[in-house]
Amino acid sequence: MQRRLLSARTQSISVISRNWHCPRTQGRLRFASTSSTSASNTSSLSGRTILLLAGSSLISGALGFAWANRSQPVVSSSKPQYGSAKDFEKAISELKIAFPDEDAVSTDPDDVYAHGFSVNDYHPGTAHSVVVYPKSTEDVVKIVKIANKYRMPIVAYAGATSLEGQFRGYSAGGICVDTAQMNQILQINEADSDMVCQPGVGWVEINETLHEKGIPLFFPIDPALSATLGGMISNGCSGTNAVRYGTAKGEWFLNVTVVLPSGEVIKTRRRSRKSAAGFDTTKLFIGAEGTLGIITEVTIRLAPVLPSTVAVVHFPDVRRACEAVKDVMNKGVGIQCVEILDDLFMTAINNFGQSGRVWPTKDTLFFKLQGHSAASLKESAKVVREVAEKHGGFGFQLAKNDEEAENIWTDRKNAHYAGLALVPGCRPLATDVCVPVSRLPDLIYETQKDLKNSGIMAPIVGHVGDGNFHAQILFTTDAEYQIAKEVSARLVHRAIAMDGTCTGEHGVGLGKRQYLVEELGAGTVGLMKTVKKALDPLGLFNPGKLYPDDDSNSK
Amino acid sequence: MSLSSIPRWFSKAQLGSSKLIQSRSLATKPPRPTFSPPRNASPNSSSANSRPRFVEFTRYSPWSRDFPYSWRTRALLQSAVYAVGIVLATNYVDSVWFPKDTAYASPREIKVAIEKLKQAFPGEQDGEERVSTHPDVLYEHGSSENSYHPASPHSVVVRPLSTEDVVTIVKISSECRVPVVVYSGATSLEGHYSGFSPGSICIDMSGMDKILEINEADSDLICQAGARWEDINDTLKEKGIPLFFPLDPAPGATIGGMIGTGCSGTNAVRYGTARAEWFLNLTVVLPNGEVIKTRRRARKSAAGFDTTKLFVGAEGTLGVVTEATLRLAPRLPTKVAMAQFKNVEQAVSAVQDILNSPYGPLIQCVELLDDNMMQAINTAGFASKPLPVLDTLFFKIQGDQAAVDLCAKTISNVVKAHGSIGKFEFAKTDEEAEELWQNRKYALTSTLGANPGTRCWTTDVCVPVSKLPELAYGTKKDLAEVGLRSTIVGHVGDGNFHALIVFSSDDSSELEKVKAVVHRLVHRALSLDGTCTGEHGVGVGKKEYLVEELGEGTVQLMKSIKKAVDPMGLMNPGKLYPDIPEKTK
Repeated sequence: MQRRLLSARTQSISVISRNWHCPRTQGRLRFASTSSTSASNTSSLSGRTILLLAGSSLISGALGFAWANRSQPVVSSSKPQYGSAKDFEKAISELKIAFPDEDAVSTDPDDVYAHGFSVNDYHPGTAHSVVVYPKSTEDVVKIVKIANKYRMPIVAYAGATSLEGQFRGYSAGGICVDTAQMNQILQINEADSDMVCQPGVGWVEINETLHEKGIPLFFPIDPALSATLGGMISNGCSGTNAVRYGTAKGEWFLNVTVVLPSGEVIKTRRRSRKSAAGFDTTKLFIGAEGTLGIITEVTIRLAPVLPSTVAVVHFPDVRRACEAVKDVMNKGVGIQCVEILDDLFMTAINNFGQSGRVWPTKDTLFFKLQGHSAASLKESAKVVREVAEKHGGFGFQLAKNDEEAENIWTDRKNAHYAGLALVPGCRPLATDVCVPVSRLPDLIYETQKDLKNSGIMAPIVGHVGDGNFHAQILFTTDAEYQIAKEVSARLVHRAIAMDGTCTGEHGVGLGKRQYLVEELGAGTVGLMKTVKKALDPLGLFNPGKLYPDDDSNSK
Repeated sequence: MSLSSIPRWFSKAQLGSSKLIQSRSLATKPPRPTFSPPRNASPNSSSANSRPRFVEFTRYSPWSRDFPYSWRTRALLQSAVYAVGIVLATNYVDSVWFPKDTAYASPREIKVAIEKLKQAFPGEQDGEERVSTHPDVLYEHGSSENSYHPASPHSVVVRPLSTEDVVTIVKISSECRVPVVVYSGATSLEGHYSGFSPGSICIDMSGMDKILEINEADSDLICQAGARWEDINDTLKEKGIPLFFPLDPAPGATIGGMIGTGCSGTNAVRYGTARAEWFLNLTVVLPNGEVIKTRRRARKSAAGFDTTKLFVGAEGTLGVVTEATLRLAPRLPTKVAMAQFKNVEQAVSAVQDILNSPYGPLIQCVELLDDNMMQAINTAGFASKPLPVLDTLFFKIQGDQAAVDLCAKTISNVVKAHGSIGKFEFAKTDEEAEELWQNRKYALTSTLGANPGTRCWTTDVCVPVSKLPELAYGTKKDLAEVGLRSTIVGHVGDGNFHALIVFSSDDSSELEKVKAVVHRLVHRALSLDGTCTGEHGVGVGKKEYLVEELGEGTVQLMKSIKKAVDPMGLMNPGKLYPDIPEKTK
């Protein structure tokens, strides 16, 4: 119906336009009164033509004006305009006024450089213009307001353990907000098993504090040792405990206080353990890498501390090890962590030799078992052993006491350094991907083959329970670095082809941006960008990270 | 165009022009028509000079007798005017029938949408039309037996069978600007799927209930959004797969609805809620008709913020979920225990101790039933034997036999230390366990059964666990003061608390009283750092509390996301987001 009306309308419009613009082509007019024609009436047209010309030029002028007016904001919003160098200087002096403490604002070249670069990654970037050390939410609001005023990018900096350049400086310059001084534990609610902290508190510190106070609870998310809560949230982190406790994307963060790009402070939830009040805005900031807001306070949920022990078992190959893990996991025994280290890594650990043990250089599983009592640990160990041996495992070892457990686990913990000792003078390119658990053996095999063909060494460690997989690609020369980068890229494509992800726990940052569309599809990435644009229309928060560039992939 | 519809001034001109046609066709030879005067020699020019100037201009009207130019120019000008007239008239009719100034469709546009839907989905499915406008169907899909929020029926109900079908529906909806509301298990209590006035398309997901893929080795499963969680667990059991999906809201709830509400159930103590990591990825039809898949199948991913979580709890306001990948957990042997207390405080502190002990992780569910509830169970007679009327805790313990026995012993010790009364019941066999758990399961039916001829308003709030006793006392006192009967069931492990308030269906003053009590209950929960809803969702019923709970900034954030994703506001309008005036940015 509507279409018919519309077509009637366009028809009549076309009639008009013919009347107005082509007065001579009356043969095409449809009105009965003018159906027969002869062009004889030219003398009358001259005056009218002038009128017509004037009118149409007026109309087209107005249209053009409207068009030009409309297209202007489109241009400016698609390319965020940052302030000039002069603006940034003004911003820095304003920051110095706002934070009169001597150490609160730093433009010291070393400081600024150290906050923009990491020894653990090789992504290109620049130093920040200035580093600010806020102490409270209000301080962060002040910084964000100044950044807004001078259109200066803002990058939050926490534990600095990230590997994908998440805290790299922006090329135009920017403010680095270091949360190191926001490191207070504000409240411990033992009865509710939760705790309120500032974002600069490290998870290790939290667990030590709880232990010291004799509270039988702990925070189970365990990324790199010096990671702090703010960074853990922004990265959507996880660690070895993810098998049992899940990741940052689970329900460990009950609420966060966030300073939005507008300078507004919001608290995403209250303290109750669950809530069905709409979609959870807390989750927006988990894994957003500081692009949607700066976290200034966190309520975390805690879990009871349980007795645990460590077991090690070796396998003839990766596939059988993975099969064993799958079986054990479905048995529901208390497994806190299960890690696979490939034969190369075992060689490296033997070389490094900190625990003094000499392991068989076979693909090996390290289990951390968890139970309510010594008896249940023993029971779990028995199940693990049975299943492992069914799948061809051998040399099963169970730690006899806590000390031994600790000692064995350090071998797993030191994997990073042991790997580096494998090739003297080498540097590591650490990368991680994650696939459905059943695809992990294929992924490891193909990667090992690829590494062999490329003539480069990379010990492999995986959180098998989740299908997460880390390769530490070792290189010494620039040529080898190029090869390492290519191997890493192929690894990512392989993982995505197996229905996996380009990063299991390291995040996107600068390093994995290019894979996001391939992994998630243009639609999902478009949705993420829509959200980003809605929250941060000026694009001030951690620009250049996480979201792929518009033109990098066709939509 | 009939003459009668033409104004008088117009018809005269019309006549003039028709005369012109006549004369033209008849008079093929000269003389020239007398009323078409030569250009510069008008016979009336002298008299025209005596007239006022503006009247003189009337001769330039193409309907004027004294029109100075040729008949061709006259015809041209006339037709131009007619053309403008037609355009204006069409525009006017168009704007009346299809108004653009209001946000949503006019009744005529809704009719157009229904026609389009009928064309897109002809035929029947399982004996029912794919597109139905039967009044009963519309009413049934737009209101619920279990809630008392104002509702209006939908305009049409459509049953899609695939993601593509949903895309078609969403596209029709945005073409005709008719809102869409998704309907699945219909167990929600806050009016999530009620119709929108003046009209809405209801997408009934009942046809999309297939399990598409079971990956036992990865402990995950892909299904359509209309699949029921119970069916999923039954299927897994039938196939002998030792896994299950642990989220357990109301029986009959479907995966799509569970995601939309951000549900949870008794298992939340051990397994968490829908907001945890049970939904690995979703396939969603966005309001613009685009289909996205939020993640891949890997168990974890750090690739940016998780867009899956945007749709969990969004109540269908950001997109229609059509497929989901669920993570499964190993099925473990379960036993049931029961302990009774003099008061709620003792019960809650016992639960805290148990959950924080090394045996905490073995607890699958802890449910608190207050004395009124126990009374109701006894009266209704669903239980095999009457139980003492005291505040009661029911436990579900999960693990191997040895672990469960040890855990039961610990629970028994802890509850004694906290002053439990009477025998600590522990079901040793599965049958006993089943029987004991029945008491908990029949909470709603017992409440209704014990009070024949009444209806029941169910509401829920959630507070930090330590605040639960305070909340329970305050509420009981309040209920006693206004003279309402109510039973209380709490998922005490999470601090979640349900009140089932009984009122007679024919006394409207009682309904008002209930509303007031619920209002106060929510405020009490909020003042204890809690939430207006632990698992029922916001829908229509809890909208008004959102700003108080989350703060204006957080609600604005939710709204700005809604606006960015669904600029036309077609997805389940009127739900979830409170109607606060937009703040200037």
